[in-house]
Amino acid sequence: MRGSRFGWIRIALVILVLLVLPKLISEYRLNLVITMMIYSIFALSYNLLFGQGGLLSFGHAAYFGFGAYATVILVKQLAMPLPLGILLGGLAGAFLGLAFGVFVVRMRGVPFALLTLAFNQLIYVTAEKWRAVTGGEDGIAFIRPNLNLGGWEIDLWGTLNWYYFVLLVTLICVGCLWYLTLTPLGRLNLCMRENEDRARFIGYNTYASRLIIYILSGFFAGVAGGLAAAFQEFVTTTFINLDKATDVLMMTFIGGGGTFFGPVIGSCALILINDLLSTWMERWAIVQGLLFILLVLYAPNGLSGLYRSIRERWAKQKTGATQP
Amino acid sequence: MELLSVIPIQFLHGLVYGMLLFLVASGLTLIFGMMGVLNFAHGALYMLGAYFSYSILRWTGQFWLSMIVAPVLVGAMGILIERFLLRKVHRFGHAHELLLTFGLAYIIEELVKWIWGNQPLHVEIPAMLSGSIQFLDITYPTYRLFILLISVAVFTVLFLILYKTRAGIIVTAAVTRSEMVNALGINVPLVFMLLFGVGGALAGLAGVIGGPYLITNPGMAATIIIDLFVVIVVGGMGSLQGALLASFLIGELQSFGILLVPQMAVALEFLLMAVVLIVKPEGLLGDKA
Repeated sequence: MRGSRFGWIRIALVILVLLVLPKLISEYRLNLVITMMIYSIFALSYNLLFGQGGLLSFGHAAYFGFGAYATVILVKQLAMPLPLGILLGGLAGAFLGLAFGVFVVRMRGVPFALLTLAFNQLIYVTAEKWRAVTGGEDGIAFIRPNLNLGGWEIDLWGTLNWYYFVLLVTLICVGCLWYLTLTPLGRLNLCMRENEDRARFIGYNTYASRLIIYILSGFFAGVAGGLAAAFQEFVTTTFINLDKATDVLMMTFIGGGGTFFGPVIGSCALILINDLLSTWMERWAIVQGLLFILLVLYAPNGLSGLYRSIRERWAKQKTGATQP
Repeated sequence: MELLSVIPIQFLHGLVYGMLLFLVASGLTLIFGMMGVLNFAHGALYMLGAYFSYSILRWTGQFWLSMIVAPVLVGAMGILIERFLLRKVHRFGHAHELLLTFGLAYIIEELVKWIWGNQPLHVEIPAMLSGSIQFLDITYPTYRLFILLISVAVFTVLFLILYKTRAGIIVTAAVTRSEMVNALGINVPLVFMLLFGVGGALAGLAGVIGGPYLITNPGMAATIIIDLFVVIVVGGMGSLQGALLASFLIGELQSFGILLVPQMAVALEFLLMAVVLIVKPEGLLGDKA
């Protein structure tokens, strides 16, 4: 009980800091925080499969990119309000998750990884070649429209308002994803990771459950993609390419898929380090790759798992010392 | 009429790429069938073959030397990767092994960019291979025929070793019944390590001969690894004959796709894969496991 109340205080503190953050840091840094929030949603959606479901996907950029294209096209061509466009971007991701999920959730392990990668490429080459809709490699540019709430016009173009908008969406998404871990479906996801046969023997329809989880994961990836496109006011094939798909894998794995907030830590850390170091260290990517390999070899639960095991060992030593 | 006359040429184009692809895919698919390890870095090893060859050519000017030295170096790297990295994560499962090799592919690609730069490199073809050959009414570049010749020669030898020698029988047996072979007193991890070396060397050789033809650039690993994964899925996971058939199909699909439906060409192989998955999920020549 004490622990969970402490957890709530910590969460409230983080939200409070995020609320006053625009007063504390420069606009440049604020933009960086926006990027972190968007990729946190993306990484959390990925972790629904990777950490919680035990499924290694190399194709999560498909849903991110599909959502991004959907949002941009709907907002630009149909003059839809931005929040609706982003919501529909999420639904587009969910739809794609259904279309591909029907095939991929039958698989696990390496075949799952292969298939997700191939589907990602299918969407990528489609976006590259179907110029009439996607603009090919040139992509589509647009301008974040103002939000009209019953005569009350909100400017989403300025960084400050846009920050609060992204913050709101992020909190909603993170809240939903957190709530999902408490539901029977969220628990079943962990159970299927540990032993899918047993879950089936108990009477669960594991195929349908995994499909629903896959669709949800596609939804939140689509929302993240829509936000990212609206943030850059631009969408192009780099939203779907293999690099994007492996970026989210790196973020999630380095942060740690075993804890809920691990992917958030991973995406924030990588984006921050990338920003700090890329200017004076051109070869940061090699260091990132080495960090990744070291974690794969010695700390399979990523940085948050490493922190947790160190803290547990420390706690054990401490109790061992006081109670001989 | 004009279309008819290009059919043999396009067929040869497809065959050349298909057989080169198979040269890379053979090691990958045997390793996958034997231990369930999918080596994401296999495409990176192929790329290293091309870059090593470029440097050997720069230093010595000997193309034939590079055809021997570069594959040996790449094969040695394959052995080192298996012995000192993959073996450590084996107990975490196949997905974890895939993560490791993905990390390796990532690092190798960044190192290649660092050492050799981002620009595509021009690799000189030896003079005796740079012309073209007249055959009936078809004129075809000698170098592409050379690629075809080497590929076919190598996998003929490969098939003979695999199906006619004791070492080959051990490997093929280990692909289907790894535990049984182990129980018979054969050191399967050692066989696996050596196979990793041979697979790497074949990928390296494909890189050496493919480099001048497919352009040596840092993106070549990512390009071929996707084709390789399609080969494995379409052919049937772990099936060597399946990989041969799938490589051939993908080569021809790409070649005729560009001729007939240029806009759709790159998507064709993924459509093929999707169809195979729906109709025959275990792959064209795969076992129903």
